[in-house]
Amino acid sequence: MSSAFTPVLDELTRHRGVRASLIVSESDGLVVDSKLRFGEHGDRVAALAASIFRKARLSARAAHLGAVSFLQLDAEHGRVCAVGRGDLVLMVVADPAANVGLIRVELLKALGHLA
Amino acid sequence: MAPDIRRLSEELARDPSSMVFLPLAEALRQQGQLDVALKIAQRGLERHPRHAGAHDLVARICVDQGDLTRAGDEWEAVLRVSPDHGGALKGLGYVRFQQGRLDEAEQFLAQAASSADGGDMSAALATVRRSSGKVGVEADDVETATATLDPKRLFAEVLIDPGQTALLLDAHGYVLGGMYVDPDGSDVSHEVGAQLSGITDEVRRAMRHLAMGEWRSIMFETEAAVVAMTAAPDDALVVVAASRATPLGLLRRLVARCTERAAGWMTGGMQA
Repeated sequence: MSSAFTPVLDELTRHRGVRASLIVSESDGLVVDSKLRFGEHGDRVAALAASIFRKARLSARAAHLGAVSFLQLDAEHGRVCAVGRGDLVLMVVADPAANVGLIRVELLKALGHLA
Repeated sequence: MAPDIRRLSEELARDPSSMVFLPLAEALRQQGQLDVALKIAQRGLERHPRHAGAHDLVARICVDQGDLTRAGDEWEAVLRVSPDHGGALKGLGYVRFQQGRLDEAEQFLAQAASSADGGDMSAALATVRRSSGKVGVEADDVETATATLDPKRLFAEVLIDPGQTALLLDAHGYVLGGMYVDPDGSDVSHEVGAQLSGITDEVRRAMRHLAMGEWRSIMFETEAAVVAMTAAPDDALVVVAASRATPLGLLRRLVARCTERAAGWMTGGMQA
């Protein structure tokens, strides 16, 4: 089943090294739409990523730094990148070799579709 | 456009000779809109060429843009108008330090320390003196002792640019050391700590589900700053913020130095 967000997720997942792309509700961590390639943990990952994005946003608000435009989490074997607008978080799970600069640009470009 | 910036822009458009260009350019600088901020500040400076604050603002924008030569020129212009200007003395100390002119850096910082608005320069002076080889282990000991006595100053030695701020939180989000200063200069460490409470645990769980191994860092960009976080011993968290103009590579180095400092301090603190 496809949603209004499916073309955005398809486009993101087409990039080399991208394992998954998801749109998640920040307030409850539920998946709105997704393109997954990493098995059955999508729901849990989405909830955790939404929570991490929320914490970043709230800490930025506490520090009077304005809205969070982009978040990147780096790990030994990959990275998670996310952008948010309103209650929605658009996130990408990528391999370490993925071009994070390009992913960042594509995520920021896709942000308009979340409005 | 942020409401403040819109309001200030409208005010400046109504009265181009007003001093409102100062808060407007400062707000734009803090949002990382450096080219626009510089244009506004320069226009203001053309109308108020002997205004120390305007030269100081142009200098700070130039530092954010990495133009240290121009920043130094502007701070020298400040001192011609206001010889005891603490911000300009401090700024020239920073510029000369970056240019490797360590004796001059020390002179400016010492003058800043004795000026009314220069603030505490001991950490910056110790860094310059250590770099110039004038002091060795003893100064390190003094710095470590100072940080141990006042945990708020834990990262003072590592952070030289006034736009940088760093904080060490325990696993529950309580502040262990450092300070998180917002763009207005207020200490918001506890508020930031409370919001980030539990984030390391969530990151670790997410990494486990994704089979990504150990997490290394979280970085996020906001309208006014870039913020980076990394793990410290005992599930503690080091949080560093810097102006949006800071190159990400430089921010990573800063985080690494703060983490090293935090780890040393925590180990030392436990031994004590």
